[in-house]
Amino acid sequence: MNKDVELVKKLKDVTQKDAAFSELLDVYQERLYWHIRKIVTTHENADDVLQNTFIRIYKSIQNFQEKSTLHTWMYRIAYNESIRFLEKNNKKSYDNIDAISESHLEVLFDDAYFDGDEIHKKLNSIIDGFKIKQKRIFQMKYFDDLSFRQISEILEVPESTLKSSYYSSVKTIEEKIFL
Amino acid sequence: MEKSTKNNNKKSFLKEGFKSDISKHHKEYLGTTVSEGYFAKSKMSILDKIKEEEIKEMPKTTKKQIVFWMKPQFRFMAAASVVFIFALTIWLQKADNNTINENNIEFLAFSDDVLINSLLVEDAEMDLFADATIINEILIKAELSEQKMDDLFLNSLFVEDSLIDNYTDDGFLETIIL
Repeated sequence: MNKDVELVKKLKDVTQKDAAFSELLDVYQERLYWHIRKIVTTHENADDVLQNTFIRIYKSIQNFQEKSTLHTWMYRIAYNESIRFLEKNNKKSYDNIDAISESHLEVLFDDAYFDGDEIHKKLNSIIDGFKIKQKRIFQMKYFDDLSFRQISEILEVPESTLKSSYYSSVKTIEEKIFL
Repeated sequence: MEKSTKNNNKKSFLKEGFKSDISKHHKEYLGTTVSEGYFAKSKMSILDKIKEEEIKEMPKTTKKQIVFWMKPQFRFMAAASVVFIFALTIWLQKADNNTINENNIEFLAFSDDVLINSLLVEDAEMDLFADATIINEILIKAELSEQKMDDLFLNSLFVEDSLIDNYTDDGFLETIIL
């Protein structure tokens, strides 16, 4: 975390900003990509949103008040950018939530950057069957390795709710995966 | 999905959780991948995009610098100064006009033909004209008349006794009637 504090100082210093931003990309680009990818489904979409996310981070770093960690702040931006992207696109393509869910899996499995077998498809289907918030909580905890506290700040949901949602998801997956 | 096929115990499917390699973790559990070297290319692309964005925003910055001194507080001060100067000019002009009008009215009121002059005075200035006339007729002329009477008595001291009656008669007539 101290590294992040140092990084923020450099990012706010005009003379060091570009070098610091390159360092920031090295540390967080991959993690944010996967966070975004799980929300927007395809690699192509994730690539667009990732770019927008970092542009937004670059532009708004001066306004970052350090009330949360840099890590959490960036995840929140990535999350919001992804949701914005989905809202923008879903308005054009889908009429209801069920259709979105079905299409989501189809789009995922048809993506050139999906290389999964039956068990992967099954896990994706189980996760996709969760309610949207439960799905995000599980993904952030299990795949992005965020703490409950960080997820709570990003999604603005109490930690106790997150924990029960997460453990319920884990139980469901373990029960269904080899059925 | 090496992990899942090796491990048939459903209770431990998610146990290991996140490992250090996030891309590998996603590939193992979700089957999602990226092309080789994607992150390096993406990094360059993001940096290029940011440079482009900065260039796009440059003219806006330059434009802002030109009018830097015209920040809202300066603009308000400048506008207030202009309004103040404008108001002052109008007020001074009006004040001059009032002085001229008052002089004119006094001139008209102090002349002999007050009734004729009253025709030249506008309705709005009639009160002012009336005041000036009253002052002229009652105060100033009465004062002058009193002075004349004083002069008359003083001068009568130097007039010979045989002529005193005629002098006082003429003097009184002139002073009182006029």
